[in-house]
Amino acid sequence: MKIMRVEKTLVSTNRIDAFGHRPLLVVQDKPGGPRSVAVDAIGCVPGDWVLCVGSSAAREAAGAKDFPSDLTIVGIIDHWDAGDKG
Amino acid sequence: MEIMRVVDELVCTRRVPGLQLCALRILKSPQGAISVATDPVGALIGNWVFVSAGSAARLAMKDATILTDLTICGIIDSWEEAG
Repeated sequence: MKIMRVEKTLVSTNRIDAFGHRPLLVVQDKPGGPRSVAVDAIGCVPGDWVLCVGSSAAREAAGAKDFPSDLTIVGIIDHWDAGDKG
Repeated sequence: MEIMRVVDELVCTRRVPGLQLCALRILKSPQGAISVATDPVGALIGNWVFVSAGSAARLAMKDATILTDLTICGIIDSWEEAG
């Protein structure tokens, strides 16, 4: 699992049917780092530090075993000091 | 999922049967790396898209038997590289 920070929501009108209307968020490893897109399974807001899972756990965490996600947010971290841990 | 930009279409006539007739697109990541993805949505050159990798890529195709490890899942409505 990875600790990431939510940057903003991602709007994609033309998407494959399997994604339905699930919210997508742009997440970063660290501020200014490379961006990824994650499916939001819990409901977070920009600025939250979150816990993300990848591979097949991401599919099941997003709601179904055949959901085509490879990165899903599974938790919001209560307190996280990024400077503290590098 | 990763964010990438469609830079071209890829024509590949001679292919394994497992790849069927699906459309292929050449994608470039913000870091400059080139990859090829199957395209079930019909992305145009210049579109920013998000892609699923690994086994999720196969489920993202309508037919999960297609042999792919990178699939375009959707076109991003508006995206600026810098932020």
